[in-house]
Amino acid sequence: MSFLIDTSLALVLFSVLIALGAGRLPGLIRVVAFQGIVVSVVPLLIGHNLSAGGIAFTVATLVIRGLVIPLAIYIAIHRRAIRREVEPIVGLHASLLAGLVLIVAATWVGRSFQLPTASDSRLLLPTAISLLVAGMFLLMARRNAIAMVLGYVMLENGIYVVGTTFSLRTHHIVEFGILLDVLAGIMIMAILLQHIKQTSGDVDTSLMRSLKD
Amino acid sequence: MLELVILIPLVTGAAAFALPQRFGRALLVLTGVTHLAASIYVWAARPDALFGAYFAISPEGLLSLLVISLLFMVISIYTTGYLETHPLAGEKVFCASMLLFLATMSMVTISDHIMVMWIAIEATTLASAPLIYAHRSAESLEATWKYVLICSVGIALALLGSVLITISMEVGKVDAPVSFSALTAHATKLDEIWLKAAFVFIVVGYGTKMGLAPMHTWLPDAHSEAPAPASALLSGVLLNCAYLGLFKTHALMQAAGLGHFSGTVLMALGLTSILVAATFIMRQQEYKRLLAYSSVENMGIIALGTGIGGLGAYGAMLCLIHHSLIKSSLFLSSGNILLGYGSRLIKKTGNLAGRMPKTCLAFVGGFVGISGFPPFGLFLGELFIIVAAFRTGHPIVGGVFVFSLCVIFGGFARHVMRLVYGPAAADQNEPIPEKATMFWPQYVLLSVSVLLCFWMPKTLYETIAAAVGYTGGGF
Repeated sequence: MSFLIDTSLALVLFSVLIALGAGRLPGLIRVVAFQGIVVSVVPLLIGHNLSAGGIAFTVATLVIRGLVIPLAIYIAIHRRAIRREVEPIVGLHASLLAGLVLIVAATWVGRSFQLPTASDSRLLLPTAISLLVAGMFLLMARRNAIAMVLGYVMLENGIYVVGTTFSLRTHHIVEFGILLDVLAGIMIMAILLQHIKQTSGDVDTSLMRSLKD
Repeated sequence: MLELVILIPLVTGAAAFALPQRFGRALLVLTGVTHLAASIYVWAARPDALFGAYFAISPEGLLSLLVISLLFMVISIYTTGYLETHPLAGEKVFCASMLLFLATMSMVTISDHIMVMWIAIEATTLASAPLIYAHRSAESLEATWKYVLICSVGIALALLGSVLITISMEVGKVDAPVSFSALTAHATKLDEIWLKAAFVFIVVGYGTKMGLAPMHTWLPDAHSEAPAPASALLSGVLLNCAYLGLFKTHALMQAAGLGHFSGTVLMALGLTSILVAATFIMRQQEYKRLLAYSSVENMGIIALGTGIGGLGAYGAMLCLIHHSLIKSSLFLSSGNILLGYGSRLIKKTGNLAGRMPKTCLAFVGGFVGISGFPPFGLFLGELFIIVAAFRTGHPIVGGVFVFSLCVIFGGFARHVMRLVYGPAAADQNEPIPEKATMFWPQYVLLSVSVLLCFWMPKTLYETIAAAVGYTGGGF
């Protein structure tokens, strides 16, 4: 099992780099969907969720994180014919370099923590930190509102990794509540995106500057 | 049946979605009255929760619940008058969202499980987003977008903080439910480093939602773009809900012997908020944004008082109650002004005393109250915090606080004088008709604040003292 976990986590780390270097939205959405799928399965691979309820919950998480959320965002783009570029504030190459530095730093930091975990995988914490920070980075370094929403989804994925792998305590019903909140939040963001596109003709957040002091 | 306070507005909210639009206003008032009755019942009988693992009664939660319930009842009456004068395009969604918003806020007040608390606070963001977007203008869209994105990201960090609390349980080998009440009993065994990290993330997360500077940037936009009844709810009670999350975490830190750390963080953030609010209030041009920055100031005062502890924390609780009462009355009055003058700019208003005398009385009364003058209750709260700051050996904090209060009063007074007695445009001097349902609610809210300043029921005093008791420190 350990081989499977490490491989999938390594793929997630790799996908963080792809996400930071992605110039177009459909690619970014696919990367985030892939991350959603992997982070939903990780608890199962570690052996946390091996009850009937746990497997049902994993499937639900997988469907929501891996399919529903990316599809909702994809449909929002498709229906409104939104331009497909991410409109970076920090250039793509610079972002990629930042991503590399981030992964190295996360691995280095991750080693210094002694965490109780059911798995001996050394990649869990670095992956979680990378997802968290890269999500924040996308939120700050992209002007396109959709890229920002995807950054938020990545951040959430990172928190999910921390929550499910390092702590065994939360009940499934509570985790499901969190998931529903995240889903509803992204649905609302998707609706707002469509309205933004309608009113200002683009989803470039630098156009939204009318409210200030 | 503690969950009744969530279920009532949840059911009526769903009904408001399902039924035709004309039922919306009646449902609002009906829910307001029944919810208040349910909250008083909960206060008096202290019933057990059906789902004891997730919900429980706490003194600070009870206080917030009663304030939320009272405010919602009064605001629902105002809303009927507001919607008659100023019909909204999506009235059905507006009414339903108001009710769901009430349900989520009630859920925050009775949450005991750390994650359920987070779910409830995030749900308040989602339920209130349609309220801010009610006008469907480009500006309100921008405000809603900022609100949803900034608050969701902020609150995501609070989720990370909550997860870190569970990690501190794992590291400390604490075997207890993940609830505030259970953890406070085992607090000393929790791992210190992880708990400190958790507190930092939770402060940033719930602090964003509460409007503490420098994470307050969404607040003035959202509060000024929302229709008056929604602004009153956002400012009056939503901020309290986020504060509740922060307060409970601070109490947990206190029990773990880390109260000095968390108290210092709260004091620093509180003082920053007060100073930031002071600078923006001085040069503000719109009266709704002025009130919004005053909310930032008051949340700063509450965080400061909580951080100081003891008498300061008691003062903070008083401020929490009276800020809700007074600020929501001010936002309701600002709604009347906006409907009457048709502009948010202070310079486009004037002669409020002559044109809308009844609203003017409520507005000036609210201004006196929010500035911390007697006979309004905020006076006592702020006084206690100042006394506590000097008594616990923080003379500089106390000095900066008093100085900022003076600056804020000066800035606020200048704008209010312009609004109330300043010259109106030449063609605007006829009186503006005022509806009874649109000024009585403000009078009621202000009277409650005055009443509580002179006569505080024993049960209320005991509940506040019990809430503050967790945070330690004597009087």
